[in-house]
Amino acid sequence: MPLVEFVDFSFKYLGSDNLALRKIDLRIDEGEYIVITGPSGCGKTTLCRAINGLVPQFHRGYIAGHVYVDGHDTRESRVAELARVAGLMFQNPANQLVTLNVAKEIAFGPENLGVEPDKIRARVEELIETLHLEHLREKHPHEMSGGQQQMVAMAATLALEPKILVADEPTSNLDPKSAESLLAILSDLNRDGMTLVLVEHRLDLVSRNATRLVLMDKGSIVADGPPRKVLSLPICEEIGIGIPKATQVYKHLKRNGCVLSRVPLTGEELAISVEEACNK
Amino acid sequence: MSFLEVFQYTRQESVIHNLDPRAKLVISICLAGISLMFTDIIPMVLMICFLIPLIAAAKSLKRWATSMRGLLPLLLFIIVFNTLLSTTEYPFSHSIGLSLRLVALMTSFSLFFLTVHPDELSQALIQMGIRFEFAFAMSMAMRYVPTLGQEAYAIMDAQRARGVELDKGNMLKRIRNIVPIIVPLIIVSIRRALSIAESMESRGFGASEKRTYMETLSFRKRDWGVVFISLLGLVILIHFRFFFSLPEWVSWGLPF
Ligand SMILES: Nc1ncnc2c1ncn2[C@@H]1O[C@H](COP(=O)(O)OP(=O)(O)OP(=O)(O)O)[C@@H](O)[C@H]1O
Ligand SMILES: [Mg+2]
Repeated sequence: MPLVEFVDFSFKYLGSDNLALRKIDLRIDEGEYIVITGPSGCGKTTLCRAINGLVPQFHRGYIAGHVYVDGHDTRESRVAELARVAGLMFQNPANQLVTLNVAKEIAFGPENLGVEPDKIRARVEELIETLHLEHLREKHPHEMSGGQQQMVAMAATLALEPKILVADEPTSNLDPKSAESLLAILSDLNRDGMTLVLVEHRLDLVSRNATRLVLMDKGSIVADGPPRKVLSLPICEEIGIGIPKATQVYKHLKRNGCVLSRVPLTGEELAISVEEACNK
Repeated sequence: MSFLEVFQYTRQESVIHNLDPRAKLVISICLAGISLMFTDIIPMVLMICFLIPLIAAAKSLKRWATSMRGLLPLLLFIIVFNTLLSTTEYPFSHSIGLSLRLVALMTSFSLFFLTVHPDELSQALIQMGIRFEFAFAMSMAMRYVPTLGQEAYAIMDAQRARGVELDKGNMLKRIRNIVPIIVPLIIVSIRRALSIAESMESRGFGASEKRTYMETLSFRKRDWGVVFISLLGLVILIHFRFFFSLPEWVSWGLPF
């Protein structure tokens, strides 16, 4: 059974004229690392919301089709129940921190779900240690940087022990350095077995670790497959997503009749492929 | 407004900080009650002399002193006006008593607010039977006040950049100038509230009837002791105040 399955799912927000999602068919299996990208307003956030039931439970509107999360139909399950399966990280870290210190913040989710206090304390300590949050322990969220806030938000989401972590542009408010370290932690989590869905524009940073790249445009999925394959499609230029520099060079060479043996994602990979081609 | 500092929690490791907030609530109310029973100078001075060591035990004497210095203009105001307008026999003496009473009252309550973290306060309320949602709303207000303040400044800057003259004109004009600040602030806040609600929902807020708490407050022996002593003190003083004629020196005052 797939962890998440969209079956011919469409959704339109109440009071909106166009469909935010159109006939989505998407299957997410355990252990995958899926990067979702696409132009602004194409429905990425709505897709994330549909995975943990915020669409259609919190955001109401017109629905067709179904989304199954770990076997539960999201139309019939409460967001709180789905929270045990799918954890969601949002774009704005400040709005995800609702308490006055880090330990409380991490404990908030498990407390809501009625986990025993001893277990909550253990989880809190573990997350503080693994995500290196010790120095933030007594800080008011207001006194933290965006990157620190987002790390705490991540800990708070992971405290629910979800099977799948959905992160909606978690790096968009962060400086490049914090963004990079956040993405590195996400890919570590995936290596340890966490299923990951990540909305991200900086494909040069994530394509190497992702198992799948999903391209969206105007509410539909327009491409879905291994990152190297999807990035080499002409549709990327048509909808205007920022593909890695190395991949651009590859495509340019290809148009001029020089086909490299593999689609490079980084300058280093490009250099190796070019060297190979020259030696031949 | 520096005199309000005395109502702001400061993190310290002290005997008072370690008491249960409910016990501290009882002490504060008893102390405030006692301060309200008297108006004369001598009992108020005695009261303040009793309170200062408590504040010192909470390691907050410096903060208290700063606040009281901030309170000075208000106290002078009270003394001047009350002396001029009072109909009592010795208006000046009476005014001094009143302002000392204000100091005693503030100090009594500050013992609570200085030493109780907002989270502890909401936990105490929950354990006193207040619904979690209400108690949590209160601590969330604390959480988002600085954010709201920051947003207000950002909006003010944006409006100034667009040529709105916020600090010019007469009183009426200035009041009207608040509109271009308040309206965007409300819109931004509603948007933020929705986004916060969404994130709380996805972390299971309101999921379970039997919500658990990582830390619960426990009333220990020393908390019971403190409550007992406070109530005993209150009862004894009520007794003396209302059922005995107090000795002459208690109601000593300045002869003008
Ligand atoms: N709460 C809402 N109410 C009504 N319409 C909405 C709401 N949220 C999003 N929409 C609309 O749904 C469509 C898809 O929006 P969505 O936020 O999912 O896009 P996105 O890909 O996440 O965009 P971005 O890159 O800007 O975050 C847009 O046309 C948007 O205007
Ligand atoms: Mg979005």
